[in-house]
Amino acid sequence: MRTDAAIPAGDIPEGLVEPSLYVGKVTPGSLDDQVLAFPETKPPRKWYFALAITLTAALIGVVSIGYTFYLGIGAWGNSSPVFWAFDIINFVFWVGIGHAGTLISAILFLFRKRWRNAIARFAEAMTIFAVICAVIFPLIHVGRPWLAYWLFPYPNQRALWTNFRSPLLWDVFAVNTYFSVSLMFWYLGLIPDIASMRDRTTSKLRKVIYTVLAMGWRGAASHWQHYEKAYLLLAGLATGLVLSVHSVVSFDFATSVVPGWHMTIFPPYFVAGAIFAGFAMVVMVLVVVRETMELKNLITMRHLDVMNKVILSMSCIMGYSYMMEGFTAWYSMNEFLHHGFMNIITGTYGWAGWVTISCNILIPQILWFKKARASYFWMILVATGVTIGMWFERFVIIVISLHQDYLPSAWRIYKPTMVDFGILLGTFGIFFTLVLLFARVLPVIATTEVKAILPDAQPSHHGDDHHV
Amino acid sequence: MSETSYAVLGTFETPDALMQAIPKVRASKLGTVEAYTPYAIHGIEEALGLRRSPLGGMVLVMGILGALTAFGFQYWISAIDYPIITGGKAPDSWEAFIPIMFEVTVLFATFTAGLGMLFLLNKLPFFGHPVLSSKSIKSITRDRYVLALEAESEAFDSAAAAVALQAAGASQVEILPAPDRSPFLTSDYILRAAGGIFTACLGAGLVMYFAIKLFPVMAPMKYMQDQPRLNAQKPSSFFKDGHGMQRPVAGTVARGHLPTATGTQEEAATLANPLPRTREVFAVGRQAYKNRCEVCHGSVGDGVGSLTAAYGGKPANLQAQQFRDYPDGKIYWAIVNGKNAMPSHAADLSESQRWAVVHYVRALQRAQNAKDEDLKVAIP
Repeated sequence: MRTDAAIPAGDIPEGLVEPSLYVGKVTPGSLDDQVLAFPETKPPRKWYFALAITLTAALIGVVSIGYTFYLGIGAWGNSSPVFWAFDIINFVFWVGIGHAGTLISAILFLFRKRWRNAIARFAEAMTIFAVICAVIFPLIHVGRPWLAYWLFPYPNQRALWTNFRSPLLWDVFAVNTYFSVSLMFWYLGLIPDIASMRDRTTSKLRKVIYTVLAMGWRGAASHWQHYEKAYLLLAGLATGLVLSVHSVVSFDFATSVVPGWHMTIFPPYFVAGAIFAGFAMVVMVLVVVRETMELKNLITMRHLDVMNKVILSMSCIMGYSYMMEGFTAWYSMNEFLHHGFMNIITGTYGWAGWVTISCNILIPQILWFKKARASYFWMILVATGVTIGMWFERFVIIVISLHQDYLPSAWRIYKPTMVDFGILLGTFGIFFTLVLLFARVLPVIATTEVKAILPDAQPSHHGDDHHV
Repeated sequence: MSETSYAVLGTFETPDALMQAIPKVRASKLGTVEAYTPYAIHGIEEALGLRRSPLGGMVLVMGILGALTAFGFQYWISAIDYPIITGGKAPDSWEAFIPIMFEVTVLFATFTAGLGMLFLLNKLPFFGHPVLSSKSIKSITRDRYVLALEAESEAFDSAAAAVALQAAGASQVEILPAPDRSPFLTSDYILRAAGGIFTACLGAGLVMYFAIKLFPVMAPMKYMQDQPRLNAQKPSSFFKDGHGMQRPVAGTVARGHLPTATGTQEEAATLANPLPRTREVFAVGRQAYKNRCEVCHGSVGDGVGSLTAAYGGKPANLQAQQFRDYPDGKIYWAIVNGKNAMPSHAADLSESQRWAVVHYVRALQRAQNAKDEDLKVAIP
């Protein structure tokens, strides 16, 4: 929200001048009119059409989950020894998608990257929706979801406590904390925007809803002072959290002795992968939002260009991580690890290993070219590839490591069932349904934050009198 | 002025105009000065003379409290109240508590930062604030910057305040009357809302009660024991023969019990007895012979067993020259595969018992056909 004091452009070399963050003339008033128009007007027909599709997908998921509850976990394809499969793959996948939102809203905020302001709101919302999709999976994976509250340490008549040395319990705390913090961060940022929607709306019902949600926000300078401080603190806290959450998720694997899981590189490798997958999803959704909601002047090609650069750098980190896995397998001279690694390339699921490598490492390399970073075709291709590739990466980690570990007598082939696929499809449906509903009722761009970085938005020279 | 007013609001077009007006309006000393802006403006807190936000300190204290809470909670549970040994580590090994300590620290700090800012420092929610019902609020949340002179006492002079604001450059001035009651949170409203919630709860409870009464046997969930799976003693459609429990595959061999390959009796002739001729082996062989062989072959192996008469058969006389010339392997083969009317004893005698029986049969043959030199061996 804060910006550096304006430096006259003539004093710095041209290459260092930051290009404009928007196209054309944007004033605080026009910004409100443009961004808030979509929630205030009747949605176009294509919005209903999209909602119908996503709701259908969500319904398939709900039916599949209901069938699982009715029949039991036997409805899934995972059996001894592959007890973790689609459910945990999807959990790790969706938690990862969420990370881009926190990265954009928190880490880039701390780094004073002003380009984040126009896309932070959307990315944060996607974080919340992705975490909602993610928590479904541990919940149904416990088999008896109506007893899932046993995971929480609370005094009970059985005089039993949970085991705090289990990484799975760390997960419970990490994901719950992550969800609470993301929700608070998102809501706090929304309050001033909801206040402006409250003062613009003419509908009586909307007025009541926005009044309650805005909590009587009136933009007093004394409030802004505390608000800014709270936002900064939350950004700092969320930064630590975003790095910790996926690290804790990776501990679920790394603290066990399954070959292919017992690796020290897992925490950073998981975090990088999460940011990678999340940014791809944000790019995909952002392109659609930019095209359909007439926000081309606010979400510019420069935003997409920077996002693509992040994807490219994360792709390189992923490439390094894969090579490290191979190197560890070779250098440790651990034959089980070696066998596990060879399985990724040549085993029964070798095709999944190759899908992962091509989608995550090879395809994103096209983004080295400036033209590819400016082309919808290539960036959508890369983003779709990365989403598929990162899903398969979790498949490779979980299924390949579990289906063949130490004892050949305990080796099995894993085959997912239609119920597995139904639940996966369902979470995509739930995610995009929530995205569509969000775009319908709340501003997709943080108008308050963009207003603060417009030219002339801040007093010149911090209120000194000697400006021209 | 006799009417009481809450504040006077002056609207400015730019942040620069606002910043320049603040010192002038403050100098008039007519009341408390407050600014309302659509977004945070830098340096405004110094211009207004606001105290620094204490939020950082609050968050730090609560964060430390969160860490201590998480540590104490986990330590008490895992080391004192319900000690669990996991992975051979001592109950009070605290290293594993760090991830949860971190999470709880962040949780406490976040709630302090967010809710502390809203509820404690900014005193929100506040739906009945006079500024919210002013004409200026629409422009405040859009793109205008408003300076307010707020009444400190009954003696507040709103006309003078309006003049002061206009002199400082305000384009519009609005006098806010003192607030009556919040139109939103009246006791009437709260009563009606509480009544509505109560009625909804009552309705939901009645629906649930009758639903359970009407459909008492409809199991909402199947339990794990009813899932499709294999039960050892029960039929199953999973295998073609309809059995849940399956026989071992043909040729299955138990660990450490690889049987000697016998083939035909002629091939078996070359097998050598792997057991030494010790007292223990003869004892095993004698017991096995008594259990399985004596009933037909007789106690000395002469084919006159107790069953012979009733059976009417003619068991082999092991003392005959033919059997005395047999190699060990042929006798072993007969035990494993059976011969003529004799059934296989493979299922009843273990590998070592069979060879022990072979030794014992040899001993019987020698005892019945002892030579003079055998006696020399026995007498030292």
